[in-house]
Amino acid sequence: MIKVRDGHLDTLGLLFARYKKPLFGFFYGMNKDAELCEDLVQNVFYRILKYRYLFRGEGDFKTWMFHIARNVNHDNFRKNKLRFKDSIEDWQDRLGTEENRATEFQRDEELQLLSMAMDRLPEDKREILLLSKYQDKKYKEIGEILGCSEGAVKVKVFRALQELKTVYAELEKHN
Amino acid sequence: MEAEKIKDLLFKYNAGDAGPGDIKEIENLIEQGAIQLDDIEGFGKMSDQIVAFETPAPSRSLDEKFHQMMKQERGIDKKAIWKNFFSSMDFMPRLAFASLTLLLGLAVGYILRSPAKKDEQIAVLGEEIRAMKEMMMLSLLEKESATDRLKAVSLTEQMDQASKQVTSALLQTLNNDENVSVRLAALDALRPYSKDGQIREALVRSIAQQKSPLVQVALAELMAELQEKGAIDAFKGILEDGETPSDIKKKIRENIQEI
Repeated sequence: MIKVRDGHLDTLGLLFARYKKPLFGFFYGMNKDAELCEDLVQNVFYRILKYRYLFRGEGDFKTWMFHIARNVNHDNFRKNKLRFKDSIEDWQDRLGTEENRATEFQRDEELQLLSMAMDRLPEDKREILLLSKYQDKKYKEIGEILGCSEGAVKVKVFRALQELKTVYAELEKHN
Repeated sequence: MEAEKIKDLLFKYNAGDAGPGDIKEIENLIEQGAIQLDDIEGFGKMSDQIVAFETPAPSRSLDEKFHQMMKQERGIDKKAIWKNFFSSMDFMPRLAFASLTLLLGLAVGYILRSPAKKDEQIAVLGEEIRAMKEMMMLSLLEKESATDRLKAVSLTEQMDQASKQVTSALLQTLNNDENVSVRLAALDALRPYSKDGQIREALVRSIAQQKSPLVQVALAELMAELQEKGAIDAFKGILEDGETPSDIKKKIRENIQEI
């Protein structure tokens, strides 16, 4: 990234090749809309290119990138706020499509159920679990992204896993 | 806290017997690093499963979009820039204007070489320039940009005598343009022609159509200047309108008194 910042723009292609999939996975976990997620990934790299001079090179590039990704996702959420205020009918429709998607991507039944439980978590809890996944459980780095301490991140993850466990148990009961 | 106590607390939590106070204590211990998340039953497995989730891969179009963005950033896309330049909406009137100016320049050069017909030909040229300015003005008035429309209105100030087509275009702008500055400029441009009876009548009719206080006051001042008594009735409507600001009403009343 330091090379990109110093004007070697071709190097960004390597970073794109390396990180497009985790970034896409993060956005997909948050939004479940492949087309939108591609736009958001593109948007992250656009911001990286535009604000490359702000990368100080002290921290990890991946942490900086996820920090931008989180902002991009929040901006998108704010922009489409009305779309997310869905009625009960829409929610039921969404459940149906999620189930289809889950069948498509998760062969294992247990994983399917867990994936569905993830989708039912509140946004902040889903986000912390996805960051934990794509940042390889490096809680210190996640703390840098969220602007809080390593300990506070662990507590957030604990609360998210606790709720995930509850939702999972509920789903299992009705399955 | 002693290791034994932590063990008891975790045992209680894993058995599902932990109360809110116990959970708060566990959170504190997690924050301090005394309890690891994997120590809690099922959490380790669950986070491993989250890591194992398969995610669909992005399509090839993402790569294409990225490379397109890089290309633009490197400034390689010069071809597209030229294409945009020629396909620009502003390009045709500019090209027409430039070509006509060139032709006129050549013609002036030719006339200056043959003094016999000079006066007559200069008059013809003057007429052609006026027609060209009119054409330019009418085409700029159609533009979406308010700056272009302002340019169009200011072009009329360079004309010695505008044609009926130009004055009616200005009146239409005064009545219908969405931008207040453009409407004010159109009113200013019409000022020299306000002695014409038809234009004066059209200006009086325009009073009732104006919603902007600035244009209303400008019209009131012009009417006072022209001593146009027919405008008084039209202004009464504005004075009776509850939405008109009191300062504007005051200003309009002063102008009516002058009439």
